[in-house]
Amino acid sequence: MELDVRVRDKDPLARFLGWFSVGLGTAQLAATKAMCLLVGARTDGAAPRVMRLLGARELTQGVGILTRPRPTAWLWSRVAGDALDLGLLGAVAVRNRKARTAFAIANVVAVAVPDVYESRFLSRRSGPVRSAMTIHKGVTINSPAAEVEQAWAAAADLRALVEEHGARVSFAAAPGDRGTELAIEFEHDPPAGDLGTAVQKLTGNDLATRLADDLRRFKQVVETGEVTRSDGTPDGHLLANHLRQRAAQPQAEVTR
Amino acid sequence: MRATCWTGRNSVEVQDVPDPQILNDRDAIVRITSTAICGSDLHLVDGYVPTMKRGDVLGHEFMGEVVEKGRGVGNLEVGDRVVVPFPIACGACWACERELTSLCENTNPNARLAEKLWGHSTAGIFGYSHLTGGFAGGQAEYVRVPFADVGPLKVDDGLADETVLFLSDILPTGYMGAEFCDLRGGEIVAVWGAGPVGQFAAASAFLLGAERVILIDRFDYRLRIARENVDGLETLNYEDMDSVPEALKEVTGGRGPDACIDAVGLEAHHHGPLYAYDRVKQALRQQTERGIALREAIMSCRNGGVVSVVGVYGGLLDKFPIGSVMNRGLTIRAGQCHVHRYMKPLLERIVNGEIDPTFIVTHRLSLDEAAKGYELFKHKQDDCLKVVLKP
Repeated sequence: MELDVRVRDKDPLARFLGWFSVGLGTAQLAATKAMCLLVGARTDGAAPRVMRLLGARELTQGVGILTRPRPTAWLWSRVAGDALDLGLLGAVAVRNRKARTAFAIANVVAVAVPDVYESRFLSRRSGPVRSAMTIHKGVTINSPAAEVEQAWAAAADLRALVEEHGARVSFAAAPGDRGTELAIEFEHDPPAGDLGTAVQKLTGNDLATRLADDLRRFKQVVETGEVTRSDGTPDGHLLANHLRQRAAQPQAEVTR
Repeated sequence: MRATCWTGRNSVEVQDVPDPQILNDRDAIVRITSTAICGSDLHLVDGYVPTMKRGDVLGHEFMGEVVEKGRGVGNLEVGDRVVVPFPIACGACWACERELTSLCENTNPNARLAEKLWGHSTAGIFGYSHLTGGFAGGQAEYVRVPFADVGPLKVDDGLADETVLFLSDILPTGYMGAEFCDLRGGEIVAVWGAGPVGQFAAASAFLLGAERVILIDRFDYRLRIARENVDGLETLNYEDMDSVPEALKEVTGGRGPDACIDAVGLEAHHHGPLYAYDRVKQALRQQTERGIALREAIMSCRNGGVVSVVGVYGGLLDKFPIGSVMNRGLTIRAGQCHVHRYMKPLLERIVNGEIDPTFIVTHRLSLDEAAKGYELFKHKQDDCLKVVLKP
């Protein structure tokens, strides 16, 4: 049986190149003169205008790669962009003869290699486009299925979250007498692809993260009767709180 | 209350902080009577374990008296004298049922952080960075003990603090290191690091049937204390030789030790170019560990032998000799100690006189002198081997 979990067309290299385009494009638009200096071009005349155009191009390509489920054409457009960049940098090199231009050319060549590789890789993909990922968030609880299902029936908030997103819940006996596997399965397909995922994560509305937090707490309550709290994390496990921890020392005011 | 706080890299201060309170029904508050500074506390203070925050209360080796308990703690009474194991365990999950208590699935409220670094999370640990939960530690006047119905071991009033304090961590840790070696009688065991854990590992290896035990360190006073207290122990000072694996080969008939215990961990010292390489990479944060002791343990071990790792590592190590491990059929066993599993049997051995862990204590200070204790221990001043703090 082929396991259909987190399977999609776009791979990490394509995503990396998408974010790379967004980053470079943003720099070219926001710090145009600095970028001109960096590649050894002049900061007056036509160079900044060209730099801004190239930045707009990069940004468009980045957004295209990140939002499309199978961005083959957008990846090839990066290859074409590399060729154009090399031509322009060649012209700058002939005119200004600066070491920085050679360094910039070396960098474009370096990124052109994965661009070509990934474009060819995606070109070989055929069949229906797989944009959504099936995500299973699972947790194993050291109790018989009947008890876990009973606790689930009582967990109104968690059930409401699951129903709101049309996710499917299953309970299965874990092999080797390890209790019960509670799995929540849903299709992850945000409207703007990876950009949408990033926005969801930043705003704390990412379903996978919320479920991971809630299932951990659910397991704690079923197995131990309480949500584990520490001095640094007094509210218990919440990914959103991981980066704004208090010091691990007792707090004067606590809520029970 | 007064508490030993981490205040930045290489900086520890005893500060006034709020008293701990019961947060959950299965909590207890313990008034500390004795607490110790552990070698792994140095890794935190020296800044090699990520996710420390200024103000974190340190300390995971402690004991004391129960002064308050939640409704869910049925097995303890106020006034009970208890030793508290350093990992926090719920007692109900799959790992706890199998006595793998340092792998408790429920006690790290920062589990996701740990999963990012290690793949899966471990149990929560007192005073041991936010990766392992962000729990305030026990180098303080009071501590909150979660799941107090599972961890704390009641001890008789007749036993002095120092006799039982080390059941909280280092004695079980050393013992587990020796137990990992699968000793059946007649083995040669080599132990890297003559700190308290290494000394207890060496003593435990004899208890479990090893015929020869060789302890390796660079400080003569630590090796001397070990020889004076562990009968039959052989020692090597690695600063006096150019290759520990070669020396071990020569004193074991060319075979190498049957089992090698790494009781050093991520701040290993040595001389030579590989050590310089480790130091530079660690300083540049290109790796979190200095792995000289572990590499030597692997290279020294006899074919098909066991490498037991109880020294603490945090993240990533470069130049790991996996080819030696694979081709020579070595078994690596490792772990934070499942203290709960060992406390009662080791307490019995202490009561029966088989082990007397008090010999490692070299310094007794008040809690307010904690910073001085850290200095003494870290820089091995005044022949320091173990510091016990009294609040």
